[in-house]
Amino acid sequence: MHHRLKLLDKYYDITVHHRSAKHLVQIGDAEPRCAVLSVTDSGDHTIQLGEQRTRVCVKVKGEMVYIRAFGQTFDLRIVNPVEQAGLSVKGGSNKARAPMPGVVVDIHVAEGEHIVKGQSMMAIESMKILTTIQAPRQGKVAKIHFAPGQSFEKGAILVTLCPEDE
Amino acid sequence: MRKIKKVMIANRGEIACRILRTLDRMGIASVMVYHAVDADSPAVRAASETVEIDGSTPVAAYLDMGRIIAACQETDADAVHPGFGFLAENAVFATRLAHEGIKFIGPSPENIELMGNKIKARSFCIDNGFPLAPSVTEAGAGEQFAVQAGKIGVPLLIKAAAGGGGKGMQIVRDLDNLEAAIQLAKAAALRSFGDDVVYAERYEEKPRHIEVQVLADEFGNVVHLGERECSIQRRFQKIIEESPAPRLESDLRERICATAVEITRKAGYRNAGTVEFLLAPDGDFFFLEMNTRIQVEHPVTEMVTGIDLVEMQIRVAQGEYLPFNQDQVKTEGHAIELRLYAEDPANDFLPTTGPLLAYSLPVGGSVRVDDGFSEGMKVTSAFDPMLAKLITHGATRNEAIERARKAIADTLVLGITTNVDYLARIIAHPAFAAGQIHTGFIPQYGNDFDSPLLTKDQRDLLLAAAALSSREFTNPEFEAIEPYTSIGNWRN
Repeated sequence: MHHRLKLLDKYYDITVHHRSAKHLVQIGDAEPRCAVLSVTDSGDHTIQLGEQRTRVCVKVKGEMVYIRAFGQTFDLRIVNPVEQAGLSVKGGSNKARAPMPGVVVDIHVAEGEHIVKGQSMMAIESMKILTTIQAPRQGKVAKIHFAPGQSFEKGAILVTLCPEDE
Repeated sequence: MRKIKKVMIANRGEIACRILRTLDRMGIASVMVYHAVDADSPAVRAASETVEIDGSTPVAAYLDMGRIIAACQETDADAVHPGFGFLAENAVFATRLAHEGIKFIGPSPENIELMGNKIKARSFCIDNGFPLAPSVTEAGAGEQFAVQAGKIGVPLLIKAAAGGGGKGMQIVRDLDNLEAAIQLAKAAALRSFGDDVVYAERYEEKPRHIEVQVLADEFGNVVHLGERECSIQRRFQKIIEESPAPRLESDLRERICATAVEITRKAGYRNAGTVEFLLAPDGDFFFLEMNTRIQVEHPVTEMVTGIDLVEMQIRVAQGEYLPFNQDQVKTEGHAIELRLYAEDPANDFLPTTGPLLAYSLPVGGSVRVDDGFSEGMKVTSAFDPMLAKLITHGATRNEAIERARKAIADTLVLGITTNVDYLARIIAHPAFAAGQIHTGFIPQYGNDFDSPLLTKDQRDLLLAAAALSSREFTNPEFEAIEPYTSIGNWRN
């Protein structure tokens, strides 16, 4: 199977080839290497790729793969094909999304208002932290999706801007 | 003296678990209130008796005084331990409990009233000659507030009068931004504390945050249990604390602790409290505030003194004399606490939410873990994002740090971004090892704590492990559609 993985803000194309009981893992255009993920006595895993080998703890949930290795914790994401297609298209900055779950504290712009890049559009609070949502570019506010006091989840669209050609 | 028979724990999470442990050890019955979102938490599972409470939000449930008092009456609890946060520093709650004949395990309503309001606490210190940083209160200066605040000079800190925990604090480095900062601080104060009164004080660059644990009984006996160094902070909130404070001359230490005891005595304070000071690089120290409750970081004091602070709170609340005087308080070795948070250090420490797919912390030996989570639980935005406290003890500071380093290496939290790796890098930093710490430590050395770069081999191992553990890659049902399987050639 071929998939794209995101690790530390970079994308990698990975292909796993099955050869009887073995897996061959190909990263980008590199030569495929024999790879084995085995469970240790302590319940951790050992990953072997070609000559390289290390102990890892791995948990998978949906598209996310969480790994502890080399004294650090990593999240890797399996990029779904729809998103993969979207990655090549420029833009997507019509929407300001919530960086974390929280509550709207104050709204600084009005629908239809012209704004400049970096202008504060909304103040939000999550737990003890107050943050402002800034305009990703200059333009016109199309829609404000939440009122003060309303709560939202991570990734929710908070403010939509009119498309750039308007 | 009336012995306490049954304690209502009006809190949740790790502090509820911690209070419960002491009650069990003392043989005192306990009951815990909980909101449905906490039904499967270790605290509620450990409690022998529980009462479910409700509210418009989970936090509102734990703030519902009427419901909590009713729960005490339903279950015959004759005392309440409020933990920290929620109703712990609410004088109205303490007063209402007193009217119902229920003991509040904490200071008197008057103590809370005095110290809970920063402005009252400051004027108390001024009236009694205790050291304070230059400041202006909005209440005192009225319309001249901004002008008088400006006269203190920059950098300047604008804070809520009624608040704590760094909520809504603003630093002003340019007087042109003063007015905007005041408005932001007022809005934050109103939102968090229902009171928009703020004050301004001189902001010291590179100060240390030193606080003193005090204990007082109803008979005027006051002792201190030494100091805690709490300078490693992000967003004005502590993430690493230790006791004793490193690089603190013994005469300065004694003066700071003696001042804390005098403030406690003069305030007529009783029960456990913490007097916080700002220590300037030149050795001047100023009263910051007094916290009228058990602190998050109390375990480091317990580790070096061997005294159970929750037990002392209960014994003092039921009218006992403090069982020791100042000379009998001995400290041994060094303790350090790391606070594990569900937050992303690479994204300005913003809180994170998600499931705890893997969650294990090393307990035992010289390592103490205070936590209220277990594997499989979800971290939500309903409460504070602290996951756990990892506390280690050693004969020396270096030994305590080394044990903390080992403990954090043995800590596994997967499924949510946390500050675990970040904490490990802080305690491994040479400036931390040297005790060269101040409240600006994290901004000063910030880049040193970034994740180290991966080698290509490491990166490839991670990618291979992720691919092989994911069904998306390895499920043979998907494989059949790949052309190379039919043509017998794995190169495409």
